[in-house]
Amino acid sequence: MAQLSKEKHTLFLLFVGLLGWFIPGAGHFLLKEKKRAIIIFVTIGLTFCTGLYIGSIGVIDAVGATPWYVYAAQIMNSPMVAFLGHITAAGGFPVYGWPNEIGQIYTSTAGLLNLLCIINAIYLAHIRQTQTVGSATGGD
Amino acid sequence: MSAIANLVTAIFITPEQIGAEPHSMLWLLPLLAAIAVTYKATKVPTITAGVFIKESALLLVSIVAFITITILTLYALVWLINL
Repeated sequence: MAQLSKEKHTLFLLFVGLLGWFIPGAGHFLLKEKKRAIIIFVTIGLTFCTGLYIGSIGVIDAVGATPWYVYAAQIMNSPMVAFLGHITAAGGFPVYGWPNEIGQIYTSTAGLLNLLCIINAIYLAHIRQTQTVGSATGGD
Repeated sequence: MSAIANLVTAIFITPEQIGAEPHSMLWLLPLLAAIAVTYKATKVPTITAGVFIKESALLLVSIVAFITITILTLYALVWLINL
């Protein structure tokens, strides 16, 4: 019984993490942290869009000269980035120089910030579950 | 509707013109603001407008102050080396 509960808890944490990855802030929204969710969604969305505005969607470059870790950071925004990467893979949106660098910095920083929020949402979900179980069993 | 869609698409497929000038570094500021706001959104125990804005602004000012001190220190070092 305890094993089943533990498995459910792990699945729930995974679900919170995945939801936070698909839509920035959705993990917190699921945990009824609506204000945090809105702030995270707006801030990360704006940062990502600013990066695309500065450098165009060409800054998402999965197959070109961009280092792999930049693309890895960018894809932490949402799986939608992979779709944009698929569009730009043919090389139809070339971007060079500072617009490229600043755009990459913005989009990859937005991705890393979303990673921070995903980890925070998982941590919050875990802490709440632990506290609920602790108070139900009389532990501290 | 189509005109709006075309405008939005055009915004995101044309890069901005940004040269390698000193004032281009000001693009750093909105990014710092985003970092400060997101970090504080994960750290503040209870979010109320006053506390959240104050905490975020304090973090933003701290980061900018640290960067400014680092710039001035490096500038002074270069100046001393070139004496």
